Amino acid sequence: MNFYLWVALMLFVSALWLIWFLYRPLKANTFNLEKSNIALGRQKQAELKQDLQADLIDEQAFKQANDEIAQTLAMEMEHTIGVTASTQKNIPLWLPVLIVVFLASASWGVYQSLTSQSIVSAKSETAPTLTQSISKIRQHVAERPDDAEAWRMLGLALFEFNDVKKSLEAYQRSYELEPKNIAMLVEYASTLASAQNNQFTGRVSTLVREALEIDENAPDALYLAGWVAVNAQQLGLAQKLWQKALSLLPEGQPDKAILQQMLGKLSQVQGGTKSTPSQEEPASKLQVTIKVALSDRLRQAEFSDHYLMIYVKAARGRPMPIAIQKIKLKDFTGVVTLTDANSVMPSKKLSQSSKVLGVARLSKSGSAMRQAGDIEALSQVIDVRDNPTIELLLK
Amino acid sequence: MLPEIGHFALILALMATALQVVLPGVGLWRGNFALTQLSRPLLWMQFFWIAVSFALLMNAFLVDDFSVKYVASNSNTQLPSLFKMSAVWGAHEGSLLLWALILSAWSVAVSIFSKRLPSEVLNHILIILGLISIGFLLFLLLTSNPFERLDIVPVQGRELNPLLQDFGLIIHPPMLYMGYVGMAIPFAFVLSSLIRGQLDSTWLRWSRPWTLIAWAFLTFGITLGSWWAYYELGWGGWWFWDPVENASFMPWLVATALVHSLSVSEKRGAFKHWTVLLAISGFSLSLLGTFLVRSGILTSVHSFAADPDRGLFILVFLVIVVGGSLGLYAWRAHLMRSNHQFAPFSRESGLLINNILLVAAMLSVFLGTLYPLLLDSLGLGKISVGAPYFDAVFIPIMIPAVLAMAVGAFLRWKKDSISRVVDAIIHIVFVVFTLTLITFLAMGDDSNIFVLLAIFLFAWIVLHSSLLLVQRLRQKGKPNMAFLGMIVAHIGIAVFLLGATVTTQYGVEKDIKMSLNETVEIEGYAFTFRGVEGLNGANYTGNKGVIDVAYQGEKIATLRPEKRQYVTGMPMTEAAIDPSLYRDIYVALGESLGEGAWSLRLYYKPLIRWIWLGGLFIVFGALLAAFDRRYRLKVRTGV
Repeated sequence: MNFYLWVALMLFVSALWLIWFLYRPLKANTFNLEKSNIALGRQKQAELKQDLQADLIDEQAFKQANDEIAQTLAMEMEHTIGVTASTQKNIPLWLPVLIVVFLASASWGVYQSLTSQSIVSAKSETAPTLTQSISKIRQHVAERPDDAEAWRMLGLALFEFNDVKKSLEAYQRSYELEPKNIAMLVEYASTLASAQNNQFTGRVSTLVREALEIDENAPDALYLAGWVAVNAQQLGLAQKLWQKALSLLPEGQPDKAILQQMLGKLSQVQGGTKSTPSQEEPASKLQVTIKVALSDRLRQAEFSDHYLMIYVKAARGRPMPIAIQKIKLKDFTGVVTLTDANSVMPSKKLSQSSKVLGVARLSKSGSAMRQAGDIEALSQVIDVRDNPTIELLLK
Repeated sequence: MLPEIGHFALILALMATALQVVLPGVGLWRGNFALTQLSRPLLWMQFFWIAVSFALLMNAFLVDDFSVKYVASNSNTQLPSLFKMSAVWGAHEGSLLLWALILSAWSVAVSIFSKRLPSEVLNHILIILGLISIGFLLFLLLTSNPFERLDIVPVQGRELNPLLQDFGLIIHPPMLYMGYVGMAIPFAFVLSSLIRGQLDSTWLRWSRPWTLIAWAFLTFGITLGSWWAYYELGWGGWWFWDPVENASFMPWLVATALVHSLSVSEKRGAFKHWTVLLAISGFSLSLLGTFLVRSGILTSVHSFAADPDRGLFILVFLVIVVGGSLGLYAWRAHLMRSNHQFAPFSRESGLLINNILLVAAMLSVFLGTLYPLLLDSLGLGKISVGAPYFDAVFIPIMIPAVLAMAVGAFLRWKKDSISRVVDAIIHIVFVVFTLTLITFLAMGDDSNIFVLLAIFLFAWIVLHSSLLLVQRLRQKGKPNMAFLGMIVAHIGIAVFLLGATVTTQYGVEKDIKMSLNETVEIEGYAFTFRGVEGLNGANYTGNKGVIDVAYQGEKIATLRPEKRQYVTGMPMTEAAIDPSLYRDIYVALGESLGEGAWSLRLYYKPLIRWIWLGGLFIVFGALLAAFDRRYRLKVRTGV
């Protein structure tokens, strides 16, 4: 039985109970207030006599108290309002209908309004802003600091938010709590590599090794292991690792095409072999145009030597720029067009991407990593294949 | 789905309560019998849905449904089932649900056991109780929903505070709430009378047994809390003048005054103003206690600001209840005129003094509890008001109250003469002074003024009460239950007073390092440390100390205090106690100091059990009085 049936049953039982007692009212107690007060007055007089026998009152005071009881009773009788609700009247049909309608509609209405907040939050769960997600996960880890999975999600969200430093802290916490989680190890390694300007060395290689120790057939871990090998100039090993990853990926998996391209490039580097014409990519005309408006404050001279970094990054996944232009603010004309020529990695060109976010970041240091005090604006998700033009405002 | 059903059941309970207020209200106004008589069925419906809601929340705990935020925050899979059940009221939302359930249960009890109350009065009272229920159900639904779901479902819950994983918690809060919420009944009786403009014998007579039962529960709840704090907190204390304790003690003092005031109002028609105001204050202080504890303001005035919705709701509710009822009181004050006259030296005067002293004592506690919070919230600095203040202010007020308590029962109604009373009790006074003097001489160098005073007061109360009982037994007819209840409750005060004073003055506490097989002697008891064993509980690990206790060379007990480490990392001390009516031997395990040595806290607590024994006497006395025959008499048989 689903929830709605339960609700209907609960309302039905309540309504039935109510209507039953509406048409068959409970018997009233057989005496009214007047009778009650009279009876109690007499009882008090009887108790007063007992007090006299128990020497709790002297004879003279007894008479006075007895009179007072009588006077009190008289006063009470004077104030007693006649009983008004002792007669049975016919119940008009609209009354039970009204009561049942009220009970059902008010109950359901209140339930809906009280749960609407959680419904809203559930809806926003499907497409939350990054800030909302981070805030929500932060709240959760504050309440449950031992939840390794939540720390991993926080790391991922912060990574996407470009707060790599905090992301690494969150991943480290997740690592301390649950060091055997492959997904976490791969993401942690990837983030760490990003923080090291894509150097897959040191701790990154340790994390990748730990992931492969858990599952030597994990495609993500094999992919990263390939990059570790490239960094170590072991191109043959990299080729083997990527080929293995390629064989493990299911058909139709988008990453398969990327791996194939990377293997092609690797072959070029290794043997100087040129790819066949059929494998060559046509020159792409895809581009993303980003217009950046500046607030009056940022137009002031003190910001003129700051660096403006305008780039696109994947809407989901690793937050490294796909294509970027870095310009001093004083040289900025207001608009930038990103093409394949601005791609950061030859293996992942702008034209090979689809859903991306446009980002404009003003930084004093010009560092690739987001620093405290950097000012940033993000676009909605856009599709590169539409040759989109977006506008961002830096405040 | 079950939590959603629980949530919906709570909403249905709210709707039933709204109808319980509106339909009988319209019925009384329009003279429609069927509508008026709906108050009881609607109340029962309210109770049923709250009970369903409560049962479903308990089920969520038992099946480890961590998708429910409240369950995830207060339970985990390793928690024993008994504590999973009591965890329902281990934190804010569940304890508020328990509040609502108990209020509903009290109301149902009134609806069932008030067959001697005229229907129109009963229906009025149920409407008032319904209004109070609406306040609490709205509070639950709007600010403290216990069925709130989590977006991210944790695989494991947190932990019920280990302090609360104890038998004491299973029964202490429900008993205390029974007392708190029970104060709503005399309040509803008074408000109903004020609204109807009929402050007559009926409400006075029939509100008294309910007040006595509520007072008994409040006493039992406080006594249990004191006992629980003693054995669970590991400090060996039984009362700390902590604001949370004070929050329950203030309504108790007012309820005590109300019980006495009601007896005068009921029998002689006097003190109606007092009775009305005490009934209003008793429930208002219960609400204030809830506000203080539940708003978080006691932890810090800033925690109120951190969760203003809850605090503000109770505050507004409190203002409506107090303001509304005092407004009604002012409106109807002219109806409380009394034709009753009494002399300055009479039983009525004695009870009046009792009321004044009890209210003064309550105000002293009120000031000591709220003044630091007020200063803090106004940014005027932080001050700490602790035991020295309360000892200095509260005790001097209570000494004359205790003296008067014993003598007051000898006074006649309306007027009496000092010479008659002196004649009646002079030999007791002589015996009490003699006993105190003998005790003083027997104590020699160990004499202690506080203990002497306690012995004096103990003898004073017990001898007066005994004499009163003997006198009554000599008279014709059996003494009634109310009289016996009074005697038992007064002796309970004496027992408590002696226990509290002796244990405070002669208790010995040693915080020491003990090596393996080392022996320490306290008050003739030899404590030998036999080492520490490992400990593995359902949801904790730890150490268990082994201490042999010998008296006059003969081993009398082996105590095993525990130091637990719960899965959440919270450490807990479980004291080991060798109890007896005359003294407790109490040992708490501290930290390992290396090389087999441990720090230990050893206590010798003379007569400490008398504190709770006194409380139980009071509870028993109150119940005896509540079930007095005249509250069970049918009206026509009393004619």
